[in-house]
Amino acid sequence: MIKLQGVWKEYQIDREITFTALKDITLTIEKGEFIGVVGPSGCGKSTLMYVMGLLDQPTKGSIHVDEKNVTGLGDDKISALRNAFFGFVFQQFNLINKLTVLENILLPSVYASVKLSYDPLEKARDLVDKFGLKGKENSYPNKISGGQQQRVAIARALIMHPECILADEPTGNLDSKTGESILDLLSELNREEKITIVVVTHDAHVAERTRRTIKMVDGQIV
Amino acid sequence: MKYIRYLVFTIKSAFFDFSRSKGRTFLTSLGILIGVMAVVLLMVLGLGLKRYIEQQFESLGSNLMYVMPGSKATITRGGGIVGGIKFDDKDVRTIEKVKSITYIAPGYAKAGSTVEANGKTEIVEIVGSSEQIVPMFNLEVEYGRLMEKKDVQKGGKVIMLSTTVVEKLFDSAEESVGKNVTMENQNFKIIGVIKSKGGGGLGGGGLDDHAYIPFKATYSFNPDKKFYAIYFKAENKDAIPQIKEDVQRLLERRYDKDDFSVLEQKEIMETISSIFSIINTVLVAIAAISLVVGGIGIMNIMYVTVTERIREIGIRRALGAKKSDILAQFLTESVILSLIGGILGLTVSYVIVFFLQSLFPAYIDAQSIILALGVSSAIGIIFGVFPAKKAADLTPMDAIRYE
Repeated sequence: MIKLQGVWKEYQIDREITFTALKDITLTIEKGEFIGVVGPSGCGKSTLMYVMGLLDQPTKGSIHVDEKNVTGLGDDKISALRNAFFGFVFQQFNLINKLTVLENILLPSVYASVKLSYDPLEKARDLVDKFGLKGKENSYPNKISGGQQQRVAIARALIMHPECILADEPTGNLDSKTGESILDLLSELNREEKITIVVVTHDAHVAERTRRTIKMVDGQIV
Repeated sequence: MKYIRYLVFTIKSAFFDFSRSKGRTFLTSLGILIGVMAVVLLMVLGLGLKRYIEQQFESLGSNLMYVMPGSKATITRGGGIVGGIKFDDKDVRTIEKVKSITYIAPGYAKAGSTVEANGKTEIVEIVGSSEQIVPMFNLEVEYGRLMEKKDVQKGGKVIMLSTTVVEKLFDSAEESVGKNVTMENQNFKIIGVIKSKGGGGLGGGGLDDHAYIPFKATYSFNPDKKFYAIYFKAENKDAIPQIKEDVQRLLERRYDKDDFSVLEQKEIMETISSIFSIINTVLVAIAAISLVVGGIGIMNIMYVTVTERIREIGIRRALGAKKSDILAQFLTESVILSLIGGILGLTVSYVIVFFLQSLFPAYIDAQSIILALGVSSAIGIIFGVFPAKKAADLTPMDAIRYE
């Protein structure tokens, strides 16, 4: 479903120094997988997630999404694909504080480039109920707990019915019990809704919950 | 539905940011407020002045014509009225013979003169003419009587003043009739008080500060017994072209054709209007500079806003916002910011114009409103586009990782 072929990512730090975050990554992710990407900090695992999630272009190599080469596509097409195909969950939750819980969940649908076959508002309300956020719809993100914020973020990732959820240290800012419940939620989505999930983590315990682990060191898969 | 939600989210997000930094929003809008106010008020002032002058001319009645020194080209360029040749009684008698002229009167004018009575002084414009000036300028008597033929023939030291002037010199306008005033070191007896033509209040009294005296009475301070203009009235509008031609032909026997011009009131009004339009355009253009400065203020703040919200931009991009969506969001914000300034500027202008109305016919027309709102929106777009572009061009990953 997602295929990375000889992907390199280099950053120009100044005129002479370049930093290589990803070195010749070749990786295939099949539909329905639950993958953990592990490695020490600075090993390039987050960069891998961002490149895979089309948030950044690789310096070299190609990315295929659903058999289609997406490297070099224009920004509008990439944005549309990101909007429809991927859902993101971050360590910092990354909710927009000036929008309510419900509006945050709805936000991706506002950027949809095709007409949706369902009512996003109805779907958002369902997700609120399902994720135990009832009564918090009109609250602002900074007024709810970290665990609730991460649930809102997951609900937001689901509003567009994505094929794949990319999660960067989703439990990193949560206590272990809340973290556990978030991992339960992700497992359930993978198991029951067949959503492909890639979790980037440095926590071995989190990686244990996934079904396949990819280990990275110095920008390479080992 | 989607677009409505899109718009609601964008506008809501803009207002959220404004309310979080109210002081900053106000100060930024203030630049536009002042700019819009300056432009609107100058436009209003220009229009009001033009209207005021038109009203003054209209109050003189229609079909009024003039002979003035200087060629038409120099007069319509706004110069040449002062200097050049002067006319005399012989010219009046020549023009008098032209068909379809109902009234004719010489026009000697001396501006900036003073009349004195009861120890009080008023500035007036001396108009030395004949009794025919009365029907020609539609002068109406309030108290006493109007100038008559016998006054003119005798060249008596008699004077007609408006109620506006008389009320400032005497306790009551009615009692002033028959009293003496001093003007140009001579005593003049008030024979009549004429009704106000209105206007004034702009530092000058307009037609109301005219002090009408018989032409012969000007001889003591006008030793060459000449005058600057000849006023006459056409029987009707259709007769004007023929009269113009005849007067032109007759006067050319005596003067060079570039030394004088035969004008109708419409032409003078158009000349003055065009001069005012030019002055006004220049003033509005100068005021528009403050709008540009206001726009730069908006640009500055939008750059700050973009920097403060890089992470938010990153989040939106991760969720699928296109570059154009981010561009639209920040442009909307700068347009709203600018429009707030525009609307406030218009409101303040309204209040000022309301108080100005007692002085002269000032009003804000639809054109000014559309212009003010249009220009402030345009400024929002022009000065918002660079910061918005900066926001849109951020790489989603760099933006979302920005600390």
